[in-house]
Amino acid sequence: MLTLDGVQLHSTLLLGTGKFASAKQLIAAVKASGTELVTLAMKRLDLQHQTDDILAPLQQLGVRLLPNTSGAKTANEAIFAAELAREALGTHWLKLEIHPDPRYLLPDPIETLQAAQELVKRGFVVLPYCPADPVLCKRLEEAGCAAVMPLGAPIGSNQGLQTLAMLEIIIEQARVPVIIDAGLGAPSHACQALELGASAVLVNTAIASAADPVAMATSFRLACQAGVHARQSGLAAACTQAQASSPLTRFLETL
Amino acid sequence: MHITVNQQPQQVAEPCSLQQLVEQLALNPNGLALALNQTVIAKRAWPSTYLAPEDQVAAFQIVTGG
Repeated sequence: MLTLDGVQLHSTLLLGTGKFASAKQLIAAVKASGTELVTLAMKRLDLQHQTDDILAPLQQLGVRLLPNTSGAKTANEAIFAAELAREALGTHWLKLEIHPDPRYLLPDPIETLQAAQELVKRGFVVLPYCPADPVLCKRLEEAGCAAVMPLGAPIGSNQGLQTLAMLEIIIEQARVPVIIDAGLGAPSHACQALELGASAVLVNTAIASAADPVAMATSFRLACQAGVHARQSGLAAACTQAQASSPLTRFLETL
Repeated sequence: MHITVNQQPQQVAEPCSLQQLVEQLALNPNGLALALNQTVIAKRAWPSTYLAPEDQVAAFQIVTGG
């Protein structure tokens, strides 16, 4: 269960809508994933070549829409993009993302915090994509963000939880939902994040770029359910030495 | 009068509201956002926001993304 802005979401899987081969495939993947919250982006309209309307089919599915500020390189650009997104979709929910460097697309912590502070003042429900930095995540929480979205690995890299040790600290300290965003490449990564105690995960490339995106969406849905279930079940502790799971009686010594 | 939309020249009648511009350009308002001279204009204000010569309109739309 993920609660954002007082809204309870039963699915712990957020789905990014980029990179799918077609609108039809995207819609099928959204359905298969069981997600209740999908991300969207904004771009400048090309008056000569208007693209297919992807919005109406998503609205018909009844999933919540989470616009992002992708493309913003500074806090001011992100705030402008946020105002556009609010008007375009009629939602004050926002995935704040500011990544000036095109090679690694790593979020700029300083611009992100500045933008978050201003956007909260303007009434947005801010979900910031951010580095897996426990201090920054606390600062974003103190700024009034509705959740924090630390990265597992660079966007689209499919490397999994490279930031594992820091994510554990972030989850331990957080008073707002922690949504692991970016870098999750396999259902096992999503499962691991939820076993750790993350509130949700956001996945795009791993599903959209799979050989069968719809089947992979199902796989992530099941992995997320398994992760949540495992967390609730109380994971057994890890230790260095063996702990026998069969009785060590000496019944063979008389042979 | 002459204005620009996404830096492309456009000729519109006078007076012309943002709402009329959207209709003239046959834009789908669902997922559309407009900025007039770098200021975002709320959808509810489109009918009452009138263009002036040489105004710069920027039009944005929702697209897929992660």
